[in-house]
Amino acid sequence: MENRSSYILVVLLAIVFASCNGQKEKKKLPIMGRTEIDGTDTVHHTIADFKFVDQDSNWVSTETFKDKIYVADFFFTSCPTICPVMKAQMLRVYDSIQNKPDVLILSHTIDPKHDTVAVLKEFADRLGVESSKWHFVTGEKDDIYKIGQTSYMVSASEDPAEPGGYIHSGAFILVDKERRVRGLYDGTKPDQVDRLINDIDVLLQEYEK
Amino acid sequence: MSHSENVKLEQYMVTGSKLYTIHCSSCHQSEGQGLAKLFPPLSGSDYLDNNLEAVPCIIKNGLSGEITVNGVVYNQPMPAIPQLTNLEIAEITTYIYNSWGRNHGIVEVKDVEKMLENCKK
Repeated sequence: MENRSSYILVVLLAIVFASCNGQKEKKKLPIMGRTEIDGTDTVHHTIADFKFVDQDSNWVSTETFKDKIYVADFFFTSCPTICPVMKAQMLRVYDSIQNKPDVLILSHTIDPKHDTVAVLKEFADRLGVESSKWHFVTGEKDDIYKIGQTSYMVSASEDPAEPGGYIHSGAFILVDKERRVRGLYDGTKPDQVDRLINDIDVLLQEYEK
Repeated sequence: MSHSENVKLEQYMVTGSKLYTIHCSSCHQSEGQGLAKLFPPLSGSDYLDNNLEAVPCIIKNGLSGEITVNGVVYNQPMPAIPQLTNLEIAEITTYIYNSWGRNHGIVEVKDVEKMLENCKK
């Protein structure tokens, strides 16, 4: 009897170890946001359709990111507080994806009144980045705030009490090819951005055949 | 340098470092390296070498328009920080003039007061 139970224990342990190993090899990022069940289908939260203008005056829309994964954030060029740190960190992400054609960056201004196409162009040029890889977009203020809050799950709004006049989250949002949010990272913290850079590779592996 | 002068410099450096992190490092970055062509470096900056008198004024009143640092023209406005006391400005100035290879020594608060009186309007 005792032999038998230890045999079972060994088998159980083997199963546990095997499943752990399996998970380690195929680490998957979580799918974030509210999930709804529609009949037998699971419907995940996705980024709503959008259409904005980038630093080259080109339309940037859902279509631009078809079959791409991307990292999104919200900022404004005259921001005296956290944005410069975010941009220094996003520059690290930008450098890390140079040889990854399926990965893009999308930065939304939350101050479209000041951040015109020309201002965004100047900003991107001074940062030294390519518009084909890193889109800086502007549009209707309400559209930008709405997509931030409802699609990307971050806060962005006007607040006269804040330095610069706006309050916004410093989050970087990782979006997959199905427009689902797969990670949220604090764009002011180098260790979280390290994790994002690593997670981009984990996400890319999901699409490898 | 006497022992008490040394202690005073150290005190300025400790507080200056904290104030730098709060007020300056977001744009000029943690090691004073600046950010691309958006924000000029403080480390190795020829502007700092030649314009100590102007630095307290810039910290307090901000700066707008073009500024050339190490041959690169920058044009991002720097916000004013009017709430800083003269002592805090002296501590920040001391910190940036004694970090990243600089050993200027202490920038006294009485000197900062004089520099602030002579700020260009």
